[in-house]
Amino acid sequence: MVSISLRNVCLDYPLYGAYDFSLKRRLLGHLIREQGEMRIIRAVDNVSIEAEAGSRIGLAGPNGSGKSTLLRLIAGVYPPSSGSVAIKGNVVPLLGLNAGVNLDFVAEDNIALLLRISGRKPSRAVIDEIWAFTELEERMQRLPLRMFSSGMLMRVLFATATAFPADILLLDEWLSVVDERFAEKAQTRLLNLVSQAAIVIIASHDQPLLRRTCTRIINLDHGRVASTAVVEPPSTHPFELREKRA
Amino acid sequence: MNSASETTRRPSVLHIFKIYYPDLFGGTLTVIRDICASLRDSFASAVLVCSQSSKRREVINDVEVERVRSFGNVLSLPAAPAYPWRLWRRIPEHDLLALHAPFPLADLVFAFGFGRKRPLVVHWHADIVTHAGLRWFIEPLMRRTLRRAKAIIVSDHVLVDNTPLLREFEDKCHVVPFGIDTTTYDWSKIEPHHVNDRGRLVLACGRLVPYKGFDVLIRAAAAHNFEVWIIGEGVERPRLEQLIRELGLRNRVRLLGSVNDCERIKLMCIADVFVMPSLTNAETFGLAQLEAMAAGRPVVNTALDTAVPRVARHGMEAITVPPGDAGKLGDAIDTLIRDPERRRRMGLSARTRAVTRYSATAFKEGMETVYREAIATPCKEATATAELRQASGWPDTVRIAAALAWSDMRHRYVRSLLGPFWMSLQMAIVVAVLGSVIGQMSNAGVLARLPMLALSMTAWTFLNSVVLDATTALQGSASLIRDRALPPVIFLLQCTFRQALFALHNACVPLILWLVLTPRNFSGALEAVPGLLLFVACTFALSLVLGAMATRYRDLKPIIESSLMLAFLSSPVIWSSDMINHRSTVMRLNPLTHLFAVWREPLVGGHVDTVSIVYVLVALALLILASALTLVHLRKAAFWI
Repeated sequence: MVSISLRNVCLDYPLYGAYDFSLKRRLLGHLIREQGEMRIIRAVDNVSIEAEAGSRIGLAGPNGSGKSTLLRLIAGVYPPSSGSVAIKGNVVPLLGLNAGVNLDFVAEDNIALLLRISGRKPSRAVIDEIWAFTELEERMQRLPLRMFSSGMLMRVLFATATAFPADILLLDEWLSVVDERFAEKAQTRLLNLVSQAAIVIIASHDQPLLRRTCTRIINLDHGRVASTAVVEPPSTHPFELREKRA
Repeated sequence: MNSASETTRRPSVLHIFKIYYPDLFGGTLTVIRDICASLRDSFASAVLVCSQSSKRREVINDVEVERVRSFGNVLSLPAAPAYPWRLWRRIPEHDLLALHAPFPLADLVFAFGFGRKRPLVVHWHADIVTHAGLRWFIEPLMRRTLRRAKAIIVSDHVLVDNTPLLREFEDKCHVVPFGIDTTTYDWSKIEPHHVNDRGRLVLACGRLVPYKGFDVLIRAAAAHNFEVWIIGEGVERPRLEQLIRELGLRNRVRLLGSVNDCERIKLMCIADVFVMPSLTNAETFGLAQLEAMAAGRPVVNTALDTAVPRVARHGMEAITVPPGDAGKLGDAIDTLIRDPERRRRMGLSARTRAVTRYSATAFKEGMETVYREAIATPCKEATATAELRQASGWPDTVRIAAALAWSDMRHRYVRSLLGPFWMSLQMAIVVAVLGSVIGQMSNAGVLARLPMLALSMTAWTFLNSVVLDATTALQGSASLIRDRALPPVIFLLQCTFRQALFALHNACVPLILWLVLTPRNFSGALEAVPGLLLFVACTFALSLVLGAMATRYRDLKPIIESSLMLAFLSSPVIWSSDMINHRSTVMRLNPLTHLFAVWREPLVGGHVDTVSIVYVLVALALLILASALTLVHLRKAAFWI
């Protein structure tokens, strides 16, 4: 059973200034009794979210309202300062695509490494399948990524990141691919991935997109839940897709 | 065995604390003893504590007490290295664990998830006040313990309000005020004035430790004309005795030392005023003042943020003065001494409050309810699965670290035919040059020394690079940590793996030298394997601790770099111990000497000194402890990068 349960979760984000990284300064501060007040910002403030399988949650809010931080907290990057976080199911955070890429390596090796990082065994068939999706030439697999154009690189990374279904999918902004012709295909693949995941949480500024894909939109403001809106499910795109698959 | 059949009838409770009778007397111990005694019919109690005496197991009042050897106190904590292990062994034998906090040694066991299957109740006696500087280090451990606890028992609700850590777990906190068996204080026959008609006996009771504030009481006595008797023993005794001498109060102020229960009750009953001059919030309740109240004595206590001024309330059962203020304390005592009628009135209401509010039966019932509920409710699933996720994560962590390290090594081969062997070449040159220089210095055969020199250099390069890599590893992998949510420890492990792969490349230099220059004798090589494993384990643990610290405190990196340089020069890496005149002190104290010795000695056909083995094992144990703490703190690494 896949579920996310955040109860009264708070996250105090410490803001380390230049001096806060200094051990000498800190020890001296103790000696001369200067209590260096650590600046702390409450990035997530008393947030409770319950999500069962089938939930599609959109996080909306202005910049700095804590959307990304909340996603990272669910992914386990930041420990909550208080409150309880209980997550069942494997979490796949797609927060930044180019993490862990080594431009000197050939494409094939990069794909294998990225798959390993996400805990998958890179077999020949899997890599070929990913490569087929990128629509790039077969021989480019053995070229270092440094030689790829940014559009091509994006294709490879996107195809790798979305190769496996996840129980819980965390998206910081809808992954978009600039390449016109490829964009539509990428869109379909992502929607497909979203429809397969049990729980999806998307942080985005794009309200229409959230209304299209999500069942619930949580508006964040200064780390607090400002409002929660339930979206009536019209016969939207992902719905049709899921029925087609069934 | 008799006790075995008993445990089937009564659930058994293991009380976990640092010390027990008769090693010490004090409020917390009285509480533990009272719980054991009053719940005797429904629970079988056992106590696990530390002790400096050698006697291990005994039964005191039907309670099985096990003492773990301790080697004295460090920062108010018993230094009992075996305690966590004993605790872990004892946990499965009991149905319920009752931790009497604060006791970080036990937190250590619970923080690592041991004893997860047994319900845990935390008795919150006090916050850590005396060594507040260590909070950053102990608080995460305590939080973990509290998180897994079924219930937290406090003596008064004010503790929850004033302790930030407890506020986080407010829903788990149960208020059960301590209780006292007031019948033992029924000494109605002895009216105070019969025994002491001077009407000026002031009594205080508690361990002679700084926070109890007895020095303030003694100073207060100097300005007035009352007599002070202090019951209790402790480290402060010499200081207090000196203070009494200096103020010339030897005829009026007496330190009575430890006194048995019966005698104490009698003293409580004959005293005119009871004083609790405690200075810090370490005094959470003041069981002694409750005893005095049961004996019908008026109380003078201090305005702490704890239950102290709420058990005996200002103007009703007590006069409350600011803590540490000898003048006000003396005046308050004097007011009571001069006013027998007020003393009688306050004493009466104190007795009434003790009987009605703090009865032993209410305490017993409260405890029993909490204990029973804790045993009845099953362990929370959510926490269990979370722990499970972490546990299953370890093989993954190693696998990912290995994959990353492997890719790092392959990276060296990109656009280079020799790859890491360039480093081996460099190493070969260094060894050749050093070898010739050392050959000039000592007269022994240079050629025979070369393989060992090369091997030592390889090992040193490994250690040096692992630690240096670790200092920047987390910052270098910031995006993987923050965007892919990979545990930071992966990247520290990656350093060790990567450098191990490079070291294997480098190892071809000593291997070739060895094959060429020395008679082949393989027997030593096998014996060196455990030593080498110890070496690698120590290196990894060291890199874990230093890597995390250097990420948190950026100014550590240059310090670590220069320390490594210093360590290189002062350790027998390029020279060996027999080359300089007999083992200097610096060399003997240097852990690196022994860390190299445990695998070098077997290789040259010698025997490893037992001292070296012990030294390395102790160093490893300390490093493992430090790594464990680092792992707890590494959860916050995402904030640092």
